[in-house]
Amino acid sequence: MLHCLNTSGNLVGGIISDMTVLERQRARKKFQHEHEQDQQFFMVGCDSALGEVVANSMKPGDLGFENVEETVKKRKADHKVDMKSKDKRIKVSVEEGESKITEQIKGNKNTKLKNRENCDDVGSKENSKGSEIQNHKPDYIHVRARRGQATDSHSLAERVRREKISERMKYLQDLVPGCNKIAGKAGMLDEIINYVQSLQRQVEFLSMKLAAVNPRLDFNIDELFAKEVFTQNFQMMQSEMSNPAYLQFNSAQQQVSCCGGLINNMGILPPEIGVRRNINAPASASLPEIFLDPSCFTHILPSSTWEGDFQNLHSVDFDQGRSTSFPSQPFTGMIEASNLKMEM
Amino acid sequence: MRNLSLLKQEFLRKWIKDLKKYNSQKKNMNLFERKKAIKLSADLAMASTSKDKTTLWRKALIANTSTSIDEQDISTTSSSHKKVIRKNSTNSYSLYRKRKIGRRKINRAKERVEASFIATRLVKKRTRRLKSLLPGGKFMDDACLVDETLDYIESLKAQVEVMRCLVTASELFINPP
Repeated sequence: MLHCLNTSGNLVGGIISDMTVLERQRARKKFQHEHEQDQQFFMVGCDSALGEVVANSMKPGDLGFENVEETVKKRKADHKVDMKSKDKRIKVSVEEGESKITEQIKGNKNTKLKNRENCDDVGSKENSKGSEIQNHKPDYIHVRARRGQATDSHSLAERVRREKISERMKYLQDLVPGCNKIAGKAGMLDEIINYVQSLQRQVEFLSMKLAAVNPRLDFNIDELFAKEVFTQNFQMMQSEMSNPAYLQFNSAQQQVSCCGGLINNMGILPPEIGVRRNINAPASASLPEIFLDPSCFTHILPSSTWEGDFQNLHSVDFDQGRSTSFPSQPFTGMIEASNLKMEM
Repeated sequence: MRNLSLLKQEFLRKWIKDLKKYNSQKKNMNLFERKKAIKLSADLAMASTSKDKTTLWRKALIANTSTSIDEQDISTTSSSHKKVIRKNSTNSYSLYRKRKIGRRKINRAKERVEASFIATRLVKKRTRRLKSLLPGGKFMDDACLVDETLDYIESLKAQVEVMRCLVTASELFINPP
């Protein structure tokens, strides 16, 4: 935490207290122990941090140029490891695609060191400079790790917001077909826009079609659904059988379960829509035969066809093992409600 | 999934109710009037079909439909106006981009900065467009825009499915196979 604070201090204001120096010395000891193992990792952290420092505080220009030169020499003398690390640092940064920073590092090596010292307390120069430079490395690891996460509350809030947005974007990606393969945000947004537009156009088109298909707009929805059950819904049911929500053969709707399942498929709750239907379902065999009151439907089709189709449907039901709630003994369900005539 | 089917049920119920209400007011409509009536009632039903009606687009949609029932012609003109504006904006953007490309060769150092700039610009532009697509999108910020889009897409899907069912049903009713 202190490290982090130090770093932020470095980056933001370049103000460093004595405590920081102490902290660094302590950290340095630690670092030297771990140096051999974690060298590369540190380099990564150090690298970007250096770049940041360079970027942030390029202003202090001409102070202590000779000092810097000395520092470099000393450092080279002190540790061969440093030499290695320098090379490595550059490599790693190239790998990371931070070529911008690398260039700056290469070109302004001196400036960088200078900056470092400008940032530091002048008194801290008494410490061996090579070690000082090394000491920065563990500090900046944390910066790397928390790079986006600046410590002030504004950036924290911003970060949380961004995370939230990206999470939602993932959901959207799942929802919109063909959006999985696109990586960029712009492309994703494009896809989403297209999808929304296509859906809106479909609504437009379908409403037009509905208007065209029903010239008088006076159709009996009961008939419609009864009819639709035969052909279109039949395939739909088979395709959507895996979804239990489409076939709610629960106890409350048992009386209408024969038709209810079908109409549920369309998304209507039979009792609420008020299907006027007289259902007589003697379950004499394993497949219950449904007799629908022909008086309702004489004008559509003869009841025999109904029976056949319902039997078909029920056989499907049984195949899927979903119609367990069918009554085992004959019953007569009578649902009487308002005649659902859709007058448009 | 279960939610979706429940949503559809509720939507259909409301839609039919709305249609009845709307049609009881007016008889002998022509094709376009009928279409408009169907669409408006479907939109209304979709907007009011949900547990939480707090989402912005629902409110905006309800407001829009209630105004457009009164003055349908204005809505059509405004939509065409919108299209014109959109076209203009794309044109100016492409011009801008061309200029950018020309400049790019001159200065390579600026290139990266400009690339990121263009990227953010693209995203911004698309966000704006998405906002224009959603009902009530003007009042949304980025964070809630994504939420609203999720919700909107979901209900649009349900709406389309139910409408398609109804279309096939009525087609079958009129011309039996």
